[in-house]
Amino acid sequence: MLEFNDVTKIFNSDLLKKPFIALDKVSFEIKPGEVIGFLGANGAGKTTSIKMAMDFIRPSSGQISYHADLGRDKVDAFKRIGYLPERPFFYPHITGREFCHYMGSLSEVSRKSIIEQIQYWGPRLKIDFALDRVIKSYSKGMLQRIGFLATLLHRPKLIILDEPLSGLDPIGRKELKDIITQVNKKGVTVFFSSHIISDVEEVCSEVIFLEKGKLVFNGEVQKIINEHLKMESIVRYVKEGKVLTHKVADNEKRNFIESLIKNNFELVSVTPEKPTLEEIFYKVKSS
Amino acid sequence: MMYLNKIAIIAYYTFREIIKSRVLLNTLILGLVLLFTTYVALSFTYGSPERVTLDFGMGMLSLSSVGIAIFMGVGLLSKEIESRTAYMIISRPVKRSAFILGKLLGLGSILTLNIFILSSFTLFLYFFVGGEFQPLILWTILFTILESLLVLFIVALFSLLAGQAISVIMTIGLYVSGHAIHSAKEALADKSIVLNTLLEAYHYILPGFYKLNIKDFLLYQKELPYMYLLNIFTYGVIYSVALILLSVIIFERKNLD
Repeated sequence: MLEFNDVTKIFNSDLLKKPFIALDKVSFEIKPGEVIGFLGANGAGKTTSIKMAMDFIRPSSGQISYHADLGRDKVDAFKRIGYLPERPFFYPHITGREFCHYMGSLSEVSRKSIIEQIQYWGPRLKIDFALDRVIKSYSKGMLQRIGFLATLLHRPKLIILDEPLSGLDPIGRKELKDIITQVNKKGVTVFFSSHIISDVEEVCSEVIFLEKGKLVFNGEVQKIINEHLKMESIVRYVKEGKVLTHKVADNEKRNFIESLIKNNFELVSVTPEKPTLEEIFYKVKSS
Repeated sequence: MMYLNKIAIIAYYTFREIIKSRVLLNTLILGLVLLFTTYVALSFTYGSPERVTLDFGMGMLSLSSVGIAIFMGVGLLSKEIESRTAYMIISRPVKRSAFILGKLLGLGSILTLNIFILSSFTLFLYFFVGGEFQPLILWTILFTILESLLVLFIVALFSLLAGQAISVIMTIGLYVSGHAIHSAKEALADKSIVLNTLLEAYHYILPGFYKLNIKDFLLYQKELPYMYLLNIFTYGVIYSVALILLSVIIFERKNLD
């Protein structure tokens, strides 16, 4: 749907200072139907990449292209892309409902359809109660919710979210993650940046890692986890009425289980130990 | 058609946002202050109360609309970029040129409304004290609108190139010199050929706000030829279009970070 080919972005903020390379020959592709997590520490180049994808800033070299299924040109493609910026701030003196009508009409959505979408997503995003309040009275979480609602108004094929979960409380994060999954099930491709790896692991099928402007990894979450599987298992067994756990290397697993059976301990489970995406991320980063 | 529709949508919500921010409430208060001060001034005046009314009213009209144009115009585009509200619009199927035209049209409508409100107060008082209708009143109001729009387009253009404080200072500088240039030319031109050339060059390149100031002709009930007025109007429109085009070209190429 969206492709980065050798994209480099260099910022020359000051004549006397060394140019800053925010992105260094980054290539990746957003495939349809997936939830793609865009991971990296603060300053890794995630927001810069998203800004270039949305044509707010232009790459110093390389190409960003939208596939034909999104549209003929940039403006046409934006009819099918929904975007939510990081720390969104909207027009403070208009109401949430007016804001939705504003955004919807710019996306060429009929008034009837805007109303339907507000009625559908408003309660799901738990923002329906505040739609007739002026936006300046909204909390950070409410801004995020109304922004997300505006992102979905025109039934986009691809949504690009820049740190959508920041500023939300744990319940809000869970709700938004559920909605991301729900939206994806309706066939919408979701691309979202985050520096919270557990969020990405929970929701995404694919992941793109950036580190200091360079692409570190791009692929399926399950694949990267399998590649970094530890050769260890967790064995749970009952000894003197208590459930105990023991971590054992795979080559010693058989002997350990045999010794448990021999000593009449009840075996509860044997599960291969999977690393979390976070552990893999730090491992890749340090290597 | 869709392009014009999007300009209209952006202009409508810009207008609405400013209206709701209660800027026009200040205009109404200013209108009431204008009525009061003119009334006070009239009680100290002997002779032509209608001239005093027009002088006060038109002066206030010009100052308030130029003030709104500068202080709201400087943030019209730069604040949108800083606070990322522009991202929400440009990430929709909207051309950057439509965004900038819509924003300028929205604030331009506010300026026009402000001038209509204040001129209504002035004209009410003018007719109340026995003033008679002159076509030049309408031309003065029209030129005040044009002047404030020119100031708006200048400050918006500067705000795309420089910080807000510098943009305001440069715009005020251009506004003041644009009014003073004519007198300066008349007073200094004969003294030096170089100075004369410089003033002549300024005259052709930078905005000649003095051309739009026909208040003296109105106050002293002097006639101005229709063609002269039309020429000034055309000058203001062409200058405005040039400023808008320049802003669009810069905004199209600008990195919004």
